[in-house]
This record gives sequence, C-alpha cells and structure tokens, in this order.
Amino acid sequence: MRDYIQQFSDKAIESLRNLPREEIAKAINIIQAAYERDGRIYVFGNGGSLAIATHWVGDFNKTVFDHHLDQHSRRFQAIRLPSTEAEITAWANDIGFEMVFVGPLRNYLQDSDVVIAISSSGNSPNVLRAVEFAKSQKVPVIGLSGFDGGKLKELADAKIHISTEKGDYFIVEGIHTVILHMIVKYFQNYFDHLAEKET
Amino acid sequence: MIITRAPLRISFVGGGTDLPDFYRRYPGRVISTAIDKFVYLVINRTPLIPKISARYSISETVDRPDDLQHTRIKAALLDLEIEKGLEIGSFASLPAKTGLGSSSSFSVALMKGLHAYQGKKIDKKEAADAACRLEIELIKEPIGKQDQYAAAFGGFNVLQFNPDETVDVEPVLLDYKKRLALENHLLLFFTGVTRAASSVLTEQKSNIEKKIDTLKEMAESVFDFQGRLLSADFQGMGEMLHQGWLKKKSLASNVSNSVIDDLYNAGMNAGAWGGKVLGAGGGGCLMFLVPLEKKQAIREAVLRVVKENNLAEFREIPVKFVQTGVETLFGGNHYA
Repeated sequence: MRDYIQQFSDKAIESLRNLPREEIAKAINIIQAAYERDGRIYVFGNGGSLAIATHWVGDFNKTVFDHHLDQHSRRFQAIRLPSTEAEITAWANDIGFEMVFVGPLRNYLQDSDVVIAISSSGNSPNVLRAVEFAKSQKVPVIGLSGFDGGKLKELADAKIHISTEKGDYFIVEGIHTVILHMIVKYFQNYFDHLAEKET
Repeated sequence: MIITRAPLRISFVGGGTDLPDFYRRYPGRVISTAIDKFVYLVINRTPLIPKISARYSISETVDRPDDLQHTRIKAALLDLEIEKGLEIGSFASLPAKTGLGSSSSFSVALMKGLHAYQGKKIDKKEAADAACRLEIELIKEPIGKQDQYAAAFGGFNVLQFNPDETVDVEPVLLDYKKRLALENHLLLFFTGVTRAASSVLTEQKSNIEKKIDTLKEMAESVFDFQGRLLSADFQGMGEMLHQGWLKKKSLASNVSNSVIDDLYNAGMNAGAWGGKVLGAGGGGCLMFLVPLEKKQAIREAVLRVVKENNLAEFREIPVKFVQTGVETLFGGNHYA
C-alpha cells in the first residue's frame, strides 16, 4: 500500500514540477484583460472536468473577493456552460452530445469574453466544437489538457497542458484543479492588495 | 451601433528601430505597455441618410469618402469600399499629440470597428496589420509599427520588427505586485507642448545612415530592460531610460528643445532615476522613474519650470497599466 501511495504522489509531484508556467501566466493575463473590459468567462468540460469547472466558477465569482466583498463594484463574471441541466439534456437529447457546450455558448458569446475549456484528452468533440466556435469569433481560449494535449493544445491561446500517459485522468484532473486554484489565489491576493491600498 | 476601443501606450526603449529603413537591415525592437487611457470609436449605420458623417474635433458630413478631410477615415473607407450611410465618431481620454501613440490607437480601433461593420471579426494581429497598412502604405505617414501593435495587443510586450515585415509579439509576464509597484514609481506629465510625430520622424529617417549603430544598440538594450523589468529593478530601468533618452536626442535635432530639456533636467536634479519624452519628441509627455521618497520633490521641481514657462496645458497624468488591447465593446455580433 505504501508503495502505491508513494508512486502516485511521485507522479503528481513530477507533474507539478513541470507545470507550464509561461502558459499559466498567459492565462492569468487573458483573464485580467477580460476583467478590465467587463468581459465574461465561460468554462466547460465533461464529467470530472465539468465538476472542476463548476467548482472554479464558485471560487472565482465569490471567493476571490471574499475578504472585501463590499469594496469591489466590478467582479468577475464566470459562467459554467451549460448553466442549467435543462440545457445539457435538451441539446444532448434533441440535437446531439457534441452540441452541449457550443449550443449555449452561441447564445452568450460576445467579443469581450474569454473561454476556458477543460479536456484531459484534449480531444473531446463537444469541447472542441465550442473552442472552434470561440476561435472563429476571435475570442481568446484558455485550454487545460492532459495526455498528449490533443487538438485543444493546438487551438488554445494559453496552452495549459499536463503531459501524462494516455488515460491518466487522475493525475491530470488533480493538477488541473491545483492550477485553477492557483489562479483563484492569484486574483484573491491581487484584489486584497488593491482593497488594502485604498483603505 | 458598434463601439470599439484601443488603449494608448508608453514605450520605454527602442523607439525609432521600428522604422523600415532600420528594421529591413537589422531586427528592430521596442518594449512598451498599454495604459488605462483609450480612444473609443463609434460606428453607426444610417440607412436613410446616404451620407458619411465623421465627428472628432470637428464634425463633417459629406456625400462620399473622397470629400472627407480626416485622412485616416477617408483612406480606410476608400480601401474597404464603404461608400455611404454611416456615422463615425471618436472619443478619447486624452488630447491628441501627447506622444502616447493615440493616432495609431485611433487607427486600430477604426479598423476593428469598420471590419465589424462589414460583418468580419478580426483578431489583434489582423487589427494591428490593418492599421499599419492604413497609416504607412495608404496614407504614407513616415511612422513605424510599434504603436499599432502596442494598441492592438495590450499589456507589456517586447515587439520585434523583422526584415520580412513580420512582427513578433512577446508578452512580458509581470505579476500584479511588480506591475503595481512600477505604476507607483512612475510619474507621467503632459507638457502642454504638442507636435506631430511626422515632422520629427522625417528628419530622423533621413539621418538613419549615420545613426545605425546607435539604433542597433537601442534595439539590443530592449532585452536588458526586459530583464530589469522582470526583476523589478526600477532604478536600473530609470538609468537605462536616461541613457536611451540621451541617445534618442542625438538622432534628430528637434527631438528635444530648451523647455523640454529644462523640465527633464529639473526632474533629474530633484532625484529621478531617469526618464524620457514619450513619442517622437519635441513635446508631448515626459515620463520619469523615481524613488518613492523623492516623488513629491520631483513633482514640485517640474512644476516650477512649468510656471516659469507658462505651460498652461501642463498636467500630471495618473496612469495604470492595462492588459487589454483593441476590443469591440458593443455590437460585434449580428451587425452585417
């Protein structure tokens, strides 16, 4: 049992050591720019990645501003897609599963927005459909991928790729969660700093 | 209605190396940042009024693009074959000719907006290239390409101008602590003296042969400046600005004049680490990097020279850096 735990954590540590730091910094800049122009952030993925997206939206819209909730009139507008179960099932059942993200995204997307796509394989067809739509609208895309990065790594403007063996969802999803929390913490520190400077 | 905007910029090092006479022989390089002052463009379709209205410092309404006085709007409409039935208005946070690149910010926002008007979305690079084409090829302004790229991309960047006309944009990835600290160490003044960049640049262009070695040094020093910026060595950056300013002054006789020199020397004597005139020179804005404890003394020293010279339009400009570049704020979808 100990060996197993050691091996798993070694893999996680190895991934953390090799984080794509420049690409994460680019992602932070993309989010900063969206904030400055009151743009929205749409985030999506399948299964575990959808759960990560949902978790991140909660942190980003609220936890980032937690320490000074009344001082920031402008906040982030992060939205997980689809935002209702009704939309997931309507698009999937009536049209097809490849439409569950791009369908709602078409309703919402404006030029000032940004997109965060999460796909461990980087090849989920429904994620790629939405990313291709965002690209056609010249909207910046932050892509979190694993394995060999897949098509998402090619398409994304900020290529947050965790290189692993094919199928290693456990490490990839874990590291994706760490990176998104890193981004949450960065902005929390930033807004704390701004608020404390004012008072 | 379509609303676009593009930020103004502060360029630190390498200005002048973005001119074709230089970068066609050696790669030119500039390090600059976008700031929280913008040029806004509003474009409105007027299907029942077969005219073209342009509203900026004046208002003109004409039957066809050829009759417009505004050279950039005229050239853009002719090039895009837009004939009539629209109004174009521009709004800006600061007056023109401050040396913060506003005329290129205008062009970038204009090209983004006019493409949207035609139902075409263009990205940052396409907007920068369209503005370069408008200003350099169509209107034949003797200017470089740094301002169009700075306005289109936003944030801190090292821009490299290659002999094959391509431009590489390398973002300088600064965290908020360094960004806010640099804002705090920076003083920016509008001198109240204005000039068109083209008058200075025309002389600068004709001197390029003689100055090629100086320009090569300036392009090289961009990497050094970038390193200091990344390590938050603001004093070192200030000293480099000072050296750069001395070099730039040697490029054309009208880069500076006695009032600008007096203002600059007042800031330096009061303890500034370094600074420069922003834009092609001869007027515009003056920037200093300063130790925090000397900030107020430097302000006061500069203000004394302002009084002596009756610079009625002199102002300090509070400035923050922005990551955002050219963007469509309204009406980008469903317009064509």
